[in-house]
Amino acid sequence: MNKAIKDVLEKPLPIPDGDSQALWDGLKNGELLLQHCDDCGHVQYYQQRICRQCQSVNLQHKAASGRGTIHSFSVVYRAPGPAFKEDVPYAVLLIDLEEGPRMISSLVGKDFDALDFDSPVKLKTIKIADEVCLPCFELVS
Amino acid sequence: MANSLRGKVAIVGVGQSPTGCVPGRSPLDLTAEATLNALADANMEKAEIDGVLTGNAFASSFHRFSVALSEYLNIQPSYSNTLQVSGATAGAAVNTAAAAIHSGLADTVLVACGDSLLTGMTPDLAMRAMTESRDQQYEMPFGIPVANTFAMTAHRHMKEYGTTSEQMAQVAVTFREHASRTPGAQKTELITVDDVINSKMVSSPYRKLDCSLISDGAAALILTSAERALDYTDTPIYILGGGEYYSHEHIFLMPELTQTGAVHSAQKAYEMAGVTAADIDVAGIYDCFTGTVLMMLEDLGFCKKGESGGFVEDGHITYGGQIPTNTHGGMLSYAHPGIPAAWFHFVEVVRQLRSSCGKRQVANAELGLVHTLGAGFSTQATTILGTQSTR
Repeated sequence: MNKAIKDVLEKPLPIPDGDSQALWDGLKNGELLLQHCDDCGHVQYYQQRICRQCQSVNLQHKAASGRGTIHSFSVVYRAPGPAFKEDVPYAVLLIDLEEGPRMISSLVGKDFDALDFDSPVKLKTIKIADEVCLPCFELVS
Repeated sequence: MANSLRGKVAIVGVGQSPTGCVPGRSPLDLTAEATLNALADANMEKAEIDGVLTGNAFASSFHRFSVALSEYLNIQPSYSNTLQVSGATAGAAVNTAAAAIHSGLADTVLVACGDSLLTGMTPDLAMRAMTESRDQQYEMPFGIPVANTFAMTAHRHMKEYGTTSEQMAQVAVTFREHASRTPGAQKTELITVDDVINSKMVSSPYRKLDCSLISDGAAALILTSAERALDYTDTPIYILGGGEYYSHEHIFLMPELTQTGAVHSAQKAYEMAGVTAADIDVAGIYDCFTGTVLMMLEDLGFCKKGESGGFVEDGHITYGGQIPTNTHGGMLSYAHPGIPAAWFHFVEVVRQLRSSCGKRQVANAELGLVHTLGAGFSTQATTILGTQSTR
């Protein structure tokens, strides 16, 4: 099979690098790691070697509480390629985490009527491949 | 502004290939045809081109499209680059070409782009190709179509300012009416707000008719110094100002979902040109989605933050309104071959400023603005064009 066609049929998997290995390892244990800067207090997502606010390398990984609220959202009906066709419709979320950072994620489940701005959500990791868990979120009822 | 390029460089030729559904034509072929048409428009021989800037084409395997295009045309430029800032590539390429000419790196620069997104790829490959511009670690695994990042900004705009789906739909309705006057437009049958609202949901709040088309096509611009411009044309269109802004890469690090870097790119371009939004007679605004245009009308200064919905409903982006926009029909109705799409905004604004648009001519158009953007508002490029080199 043509490689381009094959790629389209498979879901894109994250390929951890030196910056992000800890994050993906943490998710396998059900933890969403955020980086806390020892020097300026900045909390950041996504993972990188330097603080985006003060460029310090003194960053500590700490597990997020997993609580957040929905800043914006969009329910996807037209899949971005065949790999996601069986999943539609699904909701993509922009979540403001309790610790400050914003992240993109998707909703566990299809209760779209209950989705709203500022709705509280909590982390639920979803295994999508042997070594990969995605940080998804579910509505807090 | 020290060493400004205001009025130092002009567009002397514009050209395009057939657009819409153009089967059997490669991206290089389409781009070469657009280039030859631009050369003819400028009464210029190809050997006079010593600089080439292009975007890349999804349906082409060349990594250095500008170099491949030069070989295809059998020209050997001394300045060349293939730029990649997604949808803002058109504006960035024009600004960069003007800077190259102003600085002496090149005398005459071809700025061209073409792709065959519609017939050169399957719909799935085209969709996936555009999706791959998102980060494979932090964005793509969640299944994010191109529409999604823009949809979430539009959705937030609805929440914060009460903007409605009907107001967004009016953008599509207006540009379709414009396209109905434009020879070669891909979609010309008139539509209503209800047609947009009743079209299939793609990524809420965006429905099919809120989204740009998928097309084939290419366009080319030829820029040279203001001194040389009059050797080629009686109606050079001068670059009066350029500004860009790159505020973030990931959508979740966009500083505010409802205010974009266009505020800054436009401010820089206006300052360089010595004009304000109120002076602009005609605009080309990147219209990948309807709500994108609303937010740009605000950030470019044509209306106040949060008021774009009513501004569009009141007819201000069409003839007789405050800022006739995308008079060719834009990406929503004229053509959207991917990265080349915004080249057509430049071609149209140049033609408006030359007063050569026939029944779609904006009266007394002397000052134009083109704003291109991409990647979920990550990349922003504004260019101010005018009929006179000084104002």
